Amino acid sequence: MTNSIEIKGLRKAFGDKIAVDDLSLEIPRGSLYALLGVNGAGKTTTIRMLTGLTMPTRGEACIMGHNIVTESDEVKKLVNISPQETSVAPNLTVRENLEFIAGIYGIPKKDLKERVEQIIKQFAMEEVVNQKAKTLSGGWQRKLNIAMALITEPEVLFLDEPTLGIDVLARRELWREIEALKGKITIILTTHYMEEAEMLADEIAIMAKGQLLATGTPRELKEQTHTNRLEDAFVKIVEGTAYEE
Amino acid sequence: MRSKVFAVRTWKEILRDPLSYIFCLGFPLVMLVIMSVIDRSIPADAGMEVFRIYNLAPGIAYFGLTFVMLFISVQVSKDRTTALLLRLYASPMKPVEYILGYTMPMLVLSLVQMVLCFGASFVISVCIGNNLALGEMVLSVVALLPSVLLFVGLGILFGSLVNEKAAPGLCSILISAAGMIGGIWMDVDGIGGTIAKIAKVLPFYHGVTLARMPFRGSVEGITEHLIWTVVCALLVYGLATAVFCHKMKKDMK
Repeated sequence: MTNSIEIKGLRKAFGDKIAVDDLSLEIPRGSLYALLGVNGAGKTTTIRMLTGLTMPTRGEACIMGHNIVTESDEVKKLVNISPQETSVAPNLTVRENLEFIAGIYGIPKKDLKERVEQIIKQFAMEEVVNQKAKTLSGGWQRKLNIAMALITEPEVLFLDEPTLGIDVLARRELWREIEALKGKITIILTTHYMEEAEMLADEIAIMAKGQLLATGTPRELKEQTHTNRLEDAFVKIVEGTAYEE
Repeated sequence: MRSKVFAVRTWKEILRDPLSYIFCLGFPLVMLVIMSVIDRSIPADAGMEVFRIYNLAPGIAYFGLTFVMLFISVQVSKDRTTALLLRLYASPMKPVEYILGYTMPMLVLSLVQMVLCFGASFVISVCIGNNLALGEMVLSVVALLPSVLLFVGLGILFGSLVNEKAAPGLCSILISAAGMIGGIWMDVDGIGGTIAKIAKVLPFYHGVTLARMPFRGSVEGITEHLIWTVVCALLVYGLATAVFCHKMKKDMK
């Protein structure tokens, strides 16, 4: 299997409002794929559909060959998400949060300790491991948020705006963590930050008003729009559509 | 297995909140002591038996359970408003596992609370020379079990319906109602009239009366009290499960 995710004509409507319209994408296995768009572009709704958090109105999508609607139980075992909002148990320590999520995904007790230690080391969380999650700084909470998604060793990891609201140093550190995962698992990243997408993504999909406007590597997108910066390419692509309307 | 993991998390979240100790354990015990002192001040010929230790102990044990409702409702509503449940909705967890994960720690907490309450009541009863018997206390704990389910159900129900700020207010109304018309703080049978009629439609009076029966040595009316308590507990718990699952599905639409 070469694609982790195959999406065909996916649509999500909330009443009259169409959040995602006729989205079709193929995301290769092991790649880091960025969904880029302004607020309300449909990035988070796309992720919510793919992770079983919301049902598509129309269309279909498969993750590792499993249909997200008819085989959602199978899909849920293969994916994990680091939501946009920090989603940790506030009164549990960093270690307990990791053990909690590992337990929820049914990781056997004999492997659990080793897995937790490995993640703590990977994210250099030794100094905060016994600290309650609610007492952590924003950067540490974001790290824990991602670590909790990774501890289940997902085939596909969804990172919804993973660096939103954290300082530049913490952001750089998280980029290094995410970059280290490249090639090992498929990562779908949504972000507002062009620099982040350019730095991390193998391929980028640009969305606006629920529609897919362009896909390609950062270099291809710049070439398509005859620009030198991804931000300029993004603006040109998104505004181009706006002017057409 | 997943429900056990979730239950451990709920247990830790609640026990690490100092208010749990103050309200779930401290407050009922303080009330027990205060009401025992008040009872000593009431002349014997006043015929007021509601604060006698054999009535007070099961009454306070019941009263303590209302705080279990408060804490689980706050926990459920808090979980719903944070992104933690969003993460868990994306996991293989099933709706029934959430319900069990909320229920199990509350059963344990209720048992601990009842044991402490009857333990303290026993000490008081020894001090005033009116010893409570161990067998009667054990039977009273058993009689309180359907009410544990009732209050856990009410807690999950309120936590599913309202937010973290509204849940304590809503629970406070029921805590007061359970105390007054449940017959913990007043003699409902002695008052009679509309109050008694209302009390007998709600499950609190029946639950409290059931818990007091072992100390009275009489099982008069046990069928009625048992049916009211058990049926209400099952209905409320079933409704809470349905509402939680409905809300979960709605969140995922």
